[in-house]
Amino acid sequence: MADAPCTVAVDAMGGDRAPGEIVAGALEAATTLGVRILLHGRVEELRPLLPDPLPELMTLVDTRDVIAMDDEPLAAVRKQKDSSIVVCARAVRDGAADAMVSAGNTGAVTAAAVLRMKRFRGVPSPAIAVPIPVPGHHPQVLVDAGAVVDASPERLLLYAQMGGAYARARYGLDAPTIGLLSNGEESGKGDDLRRRSYQLLHSVPGFVGNVEGSDFMHAGRADVIVTDGFTGNVALKSMEGALRSLAGVVFGVLDATPETREAATVITPRLLEAAQVYDPDLTGGAVLLGVDGVCVISHGNSSARAVVSSVQLAADCVEAGAVRRMQEAVANAR
Amino acid sequence: MPAETHVEHTPLGPDEVLGLVRERLAAILEIDEDRITLDARFVEDLEADSLALIELVEELEEELGERTVGFHVDDEDLADLHTVREAVDYVVARLDGGGGATS
Repeated sequence: MADAPCTVAVDAMGGDRAPGEIVAGALEAATTLGVRILLHGRVEELRPLLPDPLPELMTLVDTRDVIAMDDEPLAAVRKQKDSSIVVCARAVRDGAADAMVSAGNTGAVTAAAVLRMKRFRGVPSPAIAVPIPVPGHHPQVLVDAGAVVDASPERLLLYAQMGGAYARARYGLDAPTIGLLSNGEESGKGDDLRRRSYQLLHSVPGFVGNVEGSDFMHAGRADVIVTDGFTGNVALKSMEGALRSLAGVVFGVLDATPETREAATVITPRLLEAAQVYDPDLTGGAVLLGVDGVCVISHGNSSARAVVSSVQLAADCVEAGAVRRMQEAVANAR
Repeated sequence: MPAETHVEHTPLGPDEVLGLVRERLAAILEIDEDRITLDARFVEDLEADSLALIELVEELEEELGERTVGFHVDDEDLADLHTVREAVDYVVARLDGGGGATS
């Protein structure tokens, strides 16, 4: 008998382009990925966007509350228990789904995952792992990209343990290298948090010492880059801003004169193809590390393609046993 | 009016509520129950963040909701609860009639 398909709970109401793009992505995922989709949201808003009958691998789950992108996360999760985000997390907890995907309010998704799925033992709060594109190579993993602003050396140690296990599961790496983000490679570099963390991280297999911001997006130095949520989020947004600026310069040059415009007809398709590695819609989103279930947070402006990528990522994490491997990594180090 | 909401339970006193708070908070924070004294401050002494406190609140609501129909902690009140003693007093007061229909 064939294995039952992986089941992913999708929050149809979260994201700047919800529900239209989310529903379109969920439909494509249900029909092309072989993944069962539990689509959560207000049925009267979703039904007109869906075919009748629904695809065989799709089920509609009616939820009445909607958590807005700018709602205060904890209060929203507490008060809106019948929201698509909270019910998706509950579906994973109760075993109705193997994983959840949301492009909604990141804080609310994190809170719902912690409150419903629960943290696993030894992890005081979850971290967000974001794939950083590396041309011609598997992505690097940045942990934490913003779940917890403040961090202690003990938390960075957990991020390294979970990040290493996640990289093994996600990218099939036997021995991922792990770096600590600092302002210089030497062991004495960095503030008090970095220097104390450096000593603790020595116990983590694959630790290569400090890495710098310039080591992002390059293969070879570290597969996993660990930092506190404040610095991680700043680094992530800096990379996004730099890439946007660079793209503006390149396309500005290509559009500058009749000659460059003619050249652009040849160059632009190649550039766009090469730039796909940086397309956030294709990376599959971020994964919440440290909760007892697979929770993928797609970016807020997710398109249908981004939803498909995130569902694929969620299914891959389930198949690879990513959560179990992270739990084991933390437990074995205790 | 619902007909089957009244279940007989022995009233919970401060000691029982303290015991419940200590048990649940120790599990959430993964610390020894001995650290959770009446005078312990959630943030400064126990390093409990807001998410951990909400976890505690939801577990108390689930447990105590079986004793007092609709037992509920108002989020607005959480800002005033800085110590374990304040939390226990608050819960006991709610169980005595302020937080739902006492069964």
